[in-house]
Amino acid sequence: MILLFLPFCTINSKLCGYNCWVAVPISETLENGLTVAVEEQPWNPGVSMVLLVPVGAVNDPHERQGSASMLETWLWKGAGKRDARAFADALDALGVRRSSGAGVEYTTFAASFLPESLARVFELYADLVMRPLLPDEAFESVRALALQELAAVEDQPARKLMRRLRREVFASPHGQPVEGVEEVLRSISAEDVYEEYRSRYGGRGSVLALAGGIRAGEVLAAAREFFASWGGSTPQALPVKLSPPHSFHEQQQTEQVQIGLFYKDVPPGHYDFYAARLAAEILSGGFSSRLFSEIREKRSLVYSVSATPGSLKGFGYLSAYASTMPERAAETLNALRDEIARLADGVSREELDRAKISTRSDLVLSGESSRARAVAMARDVYILGRPRSLEDVEAEVVDVTLERINLFLRNHPYDRPWTGTLGPVEVV
Amino acid sequence: MGDVTFKEATLPNGLRVIAEIIPGAKSAAVGYFVNTGSRDELAGEEGVSHFLEHMVFKGTERRSAAQVNREFDGMGAKYNAFTNEEMTVFYGAVLPEFVPRLLDLLTDLMRPAIRSADFESERQVILEEIALYRDRPDAVLFERLQWRYFGVHPLAKPVLGTPESISRMTPELMRDYHARRYVPGNMTLAFAGNVEWQEVLALSEVMTAGWQRGRATRNHPSFTPQPGSQRDEYEKAQQLYLAAASPGVSARVEARYAARVLAAIIGDADNGRLYWRLVDSGLAETAVAFHHEFDDLGAYYFYVQGNPKNEQAIAAALREELARLAEKGVAEDELERAKLKTATSLVFAGEVALSRLFYLGVSYNYTGRYEPLDAVRRWVLHLQTYHLEELLEGNPFASSFEYRLVPVGA
Repeated sequence: MILLFLPFCTINSKLCGYNCWVAVPISETLENGLTVAVEEQPWNPGVSMVLLVPVGAVNDPHERQGSASMLETWLWKGAGKRDARAFADALDALGVRRSSGAGVEYTTFAASFLPESLARVFELYADLVMRPLLPDEAFESVRALALQELAAVEDQPARKLMRRLRREVFASPHGQPVEGVEEVLRSISAEDVYEEYRSRYGGRGSVLALAGGIRAGEVLAAAREFFASWGGSTPQALPVKLSPPHSFHEQQQTEQVQIGLFYKDVPPGHYDFYAARLAAEILSGGFSSRLFSEIREKRSLVYSVSATPGSLKGFGYLSAYASTMPERAAETLNALRDEIARLADGVSREELDRAKISTRSDLVLSGESSRARAVAMARDVYILGRPRSLEDVEAEVVDVTLERINLFLRNHPYDRPWTGTLGPVEVV
Repeated sequence: MGDVTFKEATLPNGLRVIAEIIPGAKSAAVGYFVNTGSRDELAGEEGVSHFLEHMVFKGTERRSAAQVNREFDGMGAKYNAFTNEEMTVFYGAVLPEFVPRLLDLLTDLMRPAIRSADFESERQVILEEIALYRDRPDAVLFERLQWRYFGVHPLAKPVLGTPESISRMTPELMRDYHARRYVPGNMTLAFAGNVEWQEVLALSEVMTAGWQRGRATRNHPSFTPQPGSQRDEYEKAQQLYLAAASPGVSARVEARYAARVLAAIIGDADNGRLYWRLVDSGLAETAVAFHHEFDDLGAYYFYVQGNPKNEQAIAAALREELARLAEKGVAEDELERAKLKTATSLVFAGEVALSRLFYLGVSYNYTGRYEPLDAVRRWVLHLQTYHLEELLEGNPFASSFEYRLVPVGA
């Protein structure tokens, strides 16, 4: 891939403010298969990094469910020449703000720091993923944490329902729980989890994305220095398989009934992807959105109601959620389903205009934040194979006309959801 | 970011207007910071501050609720509001060209209609919100800790009120509260990002010309923390939830930055003392500490969530760590690390206009001064161990109140 060195045209110029800086991400795949993506934001004094490794619940072997999540915890127990505490101290000594976690499809390691620390931060994260100590003596505490995290799901009804809903929807391993299952967490050995590190972690298929006040050339040079020798391959993405749409109820003594719906949608990269995104914005974007105004403002059925579009590699979906007290649960579920199905009748020009302005404004605002851009680029590379500029995305949004979105909604009705409820009364 | 300038003015009606201007920034944020919250509620008004925050979006003499929502969304605004014990904040972020429209809308909203029909329907929404938090043991834990730790002090009151207080609330009572608290002398209008000062100042004056002058006061009763502990079973908890509060420093004093760094040393989520003692060892899933500042006082909070079987070990470990800190103080190297981390997060807080607005509005509202993020960063980097030792004098942790929620039968 051709590397473009963008000029720092704007920073000292009085004629041209920050506004005219068009941030264009560049990306390059190193020989080991690691893709590096960079977006220069000369107005930002900090840098954010996301290292995405496609190791998640989806590629946990069935008998080792939860191992991706356990691995992520275990990696922090020491790497390179440092034990866990020395490693944390070394990152703190650079002032690095960090977070990490395993999800359905991948594990991410995010860090925010100042540009002058780039090489030292890369060195530490290269140790973390390439040379972890994975010490046996720390494994029991990793297991104890995993069991507590799983138990804590019981105290979070919304999370518990959505986790069950995912399991009901997917016939492929995309429904496997990130937190794992209790029998596995209790019995899995350190050797088993170590084996998962050896077979699933690697440079090939992983993504390193950075945005902020830094030069792309420096990032690529440092990435080659510290990550080029990262051998091994991450697992290939699996095709999504679905169960037939159906309903379920989970009995639990909660104050509110939790309601979840799940709809199949068009995948990322599809011609109608942004028509679907704009429809979701019309459904649940701002306070004037259909769900908020019908279900909360007009009928006062809920405090929280939302519909959220989501995507996996090669697959798109729309999920909806509401919680309400038992006596209003049936009415709320029907109202939610009806509002979503009503999209098939089309949207108005005013609704589409508001959704476009809101989406474009979101894009511009996300361009201020180095963290938001690093996250978006890492996901783009994983899902689409390349990072997109905010301008590219904006152009796709602008392209969706009223005729196009209404044709899409007519041909793609949101009318066959998987439906789940959790609470003291059964309403499905 | 270079070229950041600060402006302030007081309008003839007493409203303070402030701005942190970043020419060329991609967005601008606008917010009304009202000095009012649950602590300012009189008997019978419990929960009115937060209920009113909802009613503000229900429209004015000029606009219906639906019009308000459509206008916000029509300019692509990222907007919302929040209420806590001492402040109610209404805010939005937009592309710079929408600032006058956003200002007009937010300003109009500060004089809500509070219509009876809207009031009845929103009451139901608030009751749902209260029910939602009752399903979350961590939220119940903090509400009850606050109640017990602050005792008869007004900070003890729950921000959401109770189902009983919300069921009894009337529009008349809310209008009285609004007339008493939403007066120009008790509010700050703040801007951050790409705005033209002369333009927004002139607009602010015109748009608020009809507001009657007025000031509001706040009671500052004395507070003497009573050490203690309490343990309750909670039918919706499967895990152990433990929190503690101890006296800290007020939002008006510079020592609050030292207090935040001290809280990070003990309770940073990745590298605090509690992390190594409780999470790294597998005893608990989460163990953190933070310092929260109020108007006239502050508090250190400690929070641990974990396996109920480890309850005694967790409680003992927290007590020991607090005793060790009180006795031995902090080491140079851990102070350096906590300072750097705090300083870096201040750099990132400056990236986004909306996050600048919160820093600006909250600190100005408490201190009456502008504290640029860069200056705060320098203060943090200059902290020495003696600054933290001053905070430890008199051993604030000896006055901790500890509260636990455990599963039934644990």
